[in-house]
Amino acid sequence: MPGTPLAAPFHRAVLGLNGGATDPLVVKLGCELARSFKATVVALHIVEVDWTHDLADDIASGNELAASVLDMAEGIAEKYGVTLETHLIQARDIGPALVDEAAELEADTILLGLPYRKRFGGDFAIGRTVPYVLENASAGVIIVREPIPATEAQALPPALAGTTSGPAS
Amino acid sequence: MIGGRRQLSGRKPGDRRVRIERPHSEYFRYAGPGVLVAKEKAHVERRPLPHAIAQLKRVLIGRPLSSESDLEERLSKRKALAIFSSDAISSSAYATEEILHALLVGGAAVLFFSVPISIAIAVLLAIVAFSYRQVCLAYPSGGGSYSVSKRNFGRLASLVAASALLIDYTLTVAVSTSSAVEQITSAVPDLLPFKVGMGVMAILLLTLGNLRGVREAGNIFAIPTYLFVGTALTMIGIGLYRIVVLGDVSAAPQIQATADLATQAALAVLLLRAFASGAVALTGTEAIATGVPAFKPPEARNAATTLMVMAGLLAVLFIGITVLATNFGIVPTEHQTVVSQVAAHVFGDSSIGFYLFQAFTALLLFLAANTSFAAFPRLGAILAQDGFMPRQFSFRGDRLAFTLGIVVLGLAAAALVTFFGGDTSALIPLYAVGVFIDFTISQAGMIRHWLRERASQWQFRLAVNAFGCVLTGIVAVVVTTAKAPTSLVVIALIPVLVGIMLFIHREYDLVATELALRPDQVIGPPKKRERVIVPVPGLSRAVVQAVNFGRSISEDVRAVHVTEDAEQGAALRREWERQIPGVQLVIVESPYRSLVPPFLAYLDVMAPPDGETITIVVLPEYVPRHWWERLLYNQVANRLKQGLLGRPDTVVANVPYRREEPDLAMAQKPGTAPPG
Repeated sequence: MPGTPLAAPFHRAVLGLNGGATDPLVVKLGCELARSFKATVVALHIVEVDWTHDLADDIASGNELAASVLDMAEGIAEKYGVTLETHLIQARDIGPALVDEAAELEADTILLGLPYRKRFGGDFAIGRTVPYVLENASAGVIIVREPIPATEAQALPPALAGTTSGPAS
Repeated sequence: MIGGRRQLSGRKPGDRRVRIERPHSEYFRYAGPGVLVAKEKAHVERRPLPHAIAQLKRVLIGRPLSSESDLEERLSKRKALAIFSSDAISSSAYATEEILHALLVGGAAVLFFSVPISIAIAVLLAIVAFSYRQVCLAYPSGGGSYSVSKRNFGRLASLVAASALLIDYTLTVAVSTSSAVEQITSAVPDLLPFKVGMGVMAILLLTLGNLRGVREAGNIFAIPTYLFVGTALTMIGIGLYRIVVLGDVSAAPQIQATADLATQAALAVLLLRAFASGAVALTGTEAIATGVPAFKPPEARNAATTLMVMAGLLAVLFIGITVLATNFGIVPTEHQTVVSQVAAHVFGDSSIGFYLFQAFTALLLFLAANTSFAAFPRLGAILAQDGFMPRQFSFRGDRLAFTLGIVVLGLAAAALVTFFGGDTSALIPLYAVGVFIDFTISQAGMIRHWLRERASQWQFRLAVNAFGCVLTGIVAVVVTTAKAPTSLVVIALIPVLVGIMLFIHREYDLVATELALRPDQVIGPPKKRERVIVPVPGLSRAVVQAVNFGRSISEDVRAVHVTEDAEQGAALRREWERQIPGVQLVIVESPYRSLVPPFLAYLDVMAPPDGETITIVVLPEYVPRHWWERLLYNQVANRLKQGLLGRPDTVVANVPYRREEPDLAMAQKPGTAPPG
């Protein structure tokens, strides 16, 4: 419906980025909404540390990949004219770290991506993080779903094939 | 936060997390694997003097713009029309006067020829504009006639075109500012002694305005152009109404002919001279074709459209003003310009309309120079990219403008204004010679273009360009002859500039050939061994640091001390062997007291270039904390560097030593001064 806001207004949103294909979608949506709501945005990338390392070990700081995830977000935000804060986190589990960081930053919205998995016939890999955030976050949650590739969409039932990516809270 | 990491606890006991500091993020952004993009903060000067200069620049020309802002800095058609057309449109203010001036020698009887001549010039303008429209579309990378002639005639013709244009752009700035200043001094004669200063100041303001970037210059300069066009069109409309409807027509005053027009040939020569004089209206037409990349996409199409609008406006204004002047019986006088008389007749003497029109005309004449500021730096950049001008001309400054081109144009024009005492009539004979040479080369280039490309309707286009080429060629000859001998300075200057450009190109080519790697070449590890030589003035922390640096790159390290005092040398050796064992110290006694030549001679004899060994001369250098300390220290090191410049197989390395705070530094031994 034209004129209907995409999401409830927020003051501060946390964008959960995992270095995947949905990151640009999450950042673009976050920036567009933040610009219209005059809100602030924080991009968060959490590096999972396995039990072979101490949590305080320096794993992420020299990690070019981890740095580039947040820098990419910063570049997109610059084009939208939105100031983006970036946080790099090390944690044992992504879900709790994301929820705790959002709570500490007093964010009222969390945006997360949901990638489409081509293997095994194609489905959405919902994993552990998205359900954890949906169940535990006190803030509102927007899931940005990756579009289904056109070639695969033809094979889906008509009801599913018509769906496109979009925020869902 | 410890070591850039901050431990944080979560809601549940096991949910700990660590926030990692990202030190690079303030200065750089990763754009891909191994690719960093420097942010604005990384460009900030840290040293005090350059920092102060950068701050001053920020105040004068604004904050730096990133290359990504290039598209935002591009010009819309509306702004481009104002920036690139101010020169051409302003010429409508004086082109009619030039024709009438030329005809005046034939008496009042021939003044009616001014209208047919202005129509003929408008036809020529249409041909030249049509030709440059094709240039915009066929050569969208800009450069105008330079690009056309480069593609169709080769290097020499293109450099002639470029030189002619560069000269004419410079003259446009000098002539238009001098002329605008003269308008002011005519109104306020008390300002006459400050004529040159005012002209130079005007050029400085234009330079600064353009250094702020193309878009901002458009914002500054668009309004006067449109105000002039608006009031001039209103004036023409009202004037035509008075002529056609009210029958307001006056005869020209009786003027005695000063030339003999008994023969048809004499009349033809007079008309040709009048035509050539009025053809100054065409100057500035080529500027848009030079600056195509300054337009918003689609660049070529937008430039072509703007060019046609400009030509249309110029033709309407020029013919309109000429028709009004002829019908109102206006002739040039010493005290009032033709266009001013027309305005007075239409709006009424001393009316608000008259004064507004006069003010807008003066302002536009003043800003006509701006077209050159848009075109000259772009042409300079294209020439620099092709290796015909120093590469710095193609570098964009903080505001994405071609800084060096703008500054050089400003300086050259200011020098011309100063040299000619701000006298427009002294500069005029040099003006408009180059631009007609340029038009002719460009049209000729387009003839070859059509012959080669044979696009649709190529025969018609070729015919138009051929006709234009002949006409502009004739005008070029007439303008040069009529303005001789002064105009010949320009003709002489063109080959000089061409020679300089060819010399620069040859230099760049030679060095590039010398430095180039063969494509099939694979570079292996070096086969040469290193030998380190450290000239030491004594024993100090700076010397120790330099020696240790030498030891880190080679095992063959020698310290060389040149002294005039054998005893002091022996004392140094004792201390050296005790404090820096394992590093050979060579004492060179210098009974003639010189320091640098014996050291260089030692190198030539003991470490001659043999093609297998790289000699690394490590210079201990003390970093001064104040500007005046530079006068006290490192003088010998500087002379050594000069002496070693160009020595084969030799590398000079400076090892800077920064003085610690007095409480941190150990007490220095007496007699062990820093390198002096």
